[in-house]
Amino acid sequence: MLHQIRYEQLSFWRNPQAVLFTFLLPVLFVTIFGAVFGGDEKQDFYFGLSSMEYYTPTIAAISVLGACYGQLAIVLSTRRQTGMLKRLRATPLPAWVYFVGLLAHCVLVSVVDVLLVLGVGSLYGVAPPAHWAALVPTLVLGAASFCALGAGVASLVKSAESAPALVQFIQFPLVFVSGTFFPVHADVLNTIAGLLPVKPFNEAMLAAFADSGGFLWKELGILAAWGVLGTLLAVSRFRWDPKPE
Amino acid sequence: MTAVAVDGLRKNYGSHEVLHGIDFTVAQGEIFALLGPNGAGKTTALEILEGFRHRDGGRVEVLGLDPGSASDARELREQVGLVLQDIAVEPYLTVRETLARNAGYYRVPRDVDAVAELVGLHDKRTAKVKDLSGGQKRRLDLALGVVGNPRLLFLDEPTTGFDPSARHTAWQVVRDLRDSGTTIVLTTHYMDEVQALADSVAVLADGRLVESGTPATLGGRDGARARISFVLPPGTTTAELPLPVREATAHASAADRLVTAEVSEPTAALHTLTAWAVHRGAELGRLTVERPSLEEAYLDLTRSFEEEPSQRAPRTRGRRKIRSRS
Ligand SMILES: Nc1ncnc2c1ncn2[C@@H]1O[C@H](COP(=O)(O)OP(=O)(O)O)[C@@H](O)[C@H]1O
Ligand SMILES: [Mg+2]
Repeated sequence: MLHQIRYEQLSFWRNPQAVLFTFLLPVLFVTIFGAVFGGDEKQDFYFGLSSMEYYTPTIAAISVLGACYGQLAIVLSTRRQTGMLKRLRATPLPAWVYFVGLLAHCVLVSVVDVLLVLGVGSLYGVAPPAHWAALVPTLVLGAASFCALGAGVASLVKSAESAPALVQFIQFPLVFVSGTFFPVHADVLNTIAGLLPVKPFNEAMLAAFADSGGFLWKELGILAAWGVLGTLLAVSRFRWDPKPE
Repeated sequence: MTAVAVDGLRKNYGSHEVLHGIDFTVAQGEIFALLGPNGAGKTTALEILEGFRHRDGGRVEVLGLDPGSASDARELREQVGLVLQDIAVEPYLTVRETLARNAGYYRVPRDVDAVAELVGLHDKRTAKVKDLSGGQKRRLDLALGVVGNPRLLFLDEPTTGFDPSARHTAWQVVRDLRDSGTTIVLTTHYMDEVQALADSVAVLADGRLVESGTPATLGGRDGARARISFVLPPGTTTAELPLPVREATAHASAADRLVTAEVSEPTAALHTLTAWAVHRGAELGRLTVERPSLEEAYLDLTRSFEEEPSQRAPRTRGRRKIRSRS
């Protein structure tokens, strides 16, 4: 298992494109948001938080989304298309070890991502998370659920070329209705978004940061349910072979 | 001992049947070549043996296991190595890392450096895979096939796209593996590859096995009549030739007057012919005696499948498409 994680790490860190997208993008986001919206005063618009107290957790959340859901969907469909998955299938490595290795890799990358975003946030005066004990399980559960959804999407696409398109097609609207880039004050929208995977994760991250927050059972439950759905989809539809029979 | 036994194997893709019940066996420790034109069904047959595709009929046994059964799959993967028709290697790892990663998947792998040495990538061990040439990647692929120390190795068109010297190196690797006890099943459409490597061979054409045997006996060429060819000496006609009429079916081509006689007893026929020529003081230019080559025997065997347009037409298009993708 460690063997597998080690080589996943190697393959990832040597791929400049993957590293750039996974780490530079969230850091860039949080830096720009801080420069544009920065300010210490608490605002009703941000539910009684300062702007960066709001954006630091939501951008940390979207970095996890990118590192797990987006990256995994694209990596898996590329590896399938190039025949790497098929080749792997010919070795005695059990499928579950391969996938748990990928999951562990994604969790590690997510932790780095969140720490980077926190670091930039602290430069804008955002206090460190108030509830580390809530942040850690939230992060792991979120990473696992988004990995499952990434694997599910990879099972749906036929070719590696269509993977990024489908990933974005799903992610883009979700991120906007979930208040990642601006708080949403429409009740109906919030109710609907609250049942989709991104908003519950944002809420749980925000709660881990806020003094009044903590562990959000309901939100994490919804997130876990999406994880189970992604897993079921992946297990039932996943293909190793680039050319279907 | 048999390493592979195939009996009445059938496969269809949708309504298109591509294997119409084929039988062959591969003995332990031999190099077995599955020969046939593009689209014959070689890859399909191989991938069924490898456990990638389901069969629609027949019995298949690989090292005593059933590649179609999920419970045998793990053990089979432990004991079987393979190289697919398309190259698939992680671009950002080095050669050594790639080998070490896969070695870690097996119970008793080979030594990574020894494997790199075996395929001639010893001095490329620290190079990134993406910086290798096509032929080097192919050799790395072969190294991945043997790093688990398999008892049986499947190679799908192992030297397609190699330059002549790389092919000879690859052949030597395959022979060395056979000599160390590995059974090898390969597909190819190169006749010289079969000649250089195969202990036994089966010819597949249009999903049917048209012949199996050894390279020496393919198409009955060991029992075939020998051909004596030479340039007709100036001033002679074919009617004057001394070869027994019943044994010779000679014909002269107008341009260079090269004549060929097919004879069943070449020693006696040659004696008669040369005595006749010496007696007349004539020189027999470009005199040769030969058996039908492996290539000719193969072309004879598969010709009927290439020349029936009514049967071929609907499939040609699909086949081209598959080829251009690979
Ligand atoms: N995945 C597939 N789906 C449908 N038809 C296929 C598929 N793979 C191969 N075929 C068809 O099966 C036939 C045999 O193909 P293949 O086994 O690749 O032949 P070979 O390896 O001898 O060139 C061809 O007509 C090809 O078009
Ligand atoms: Mg083929």
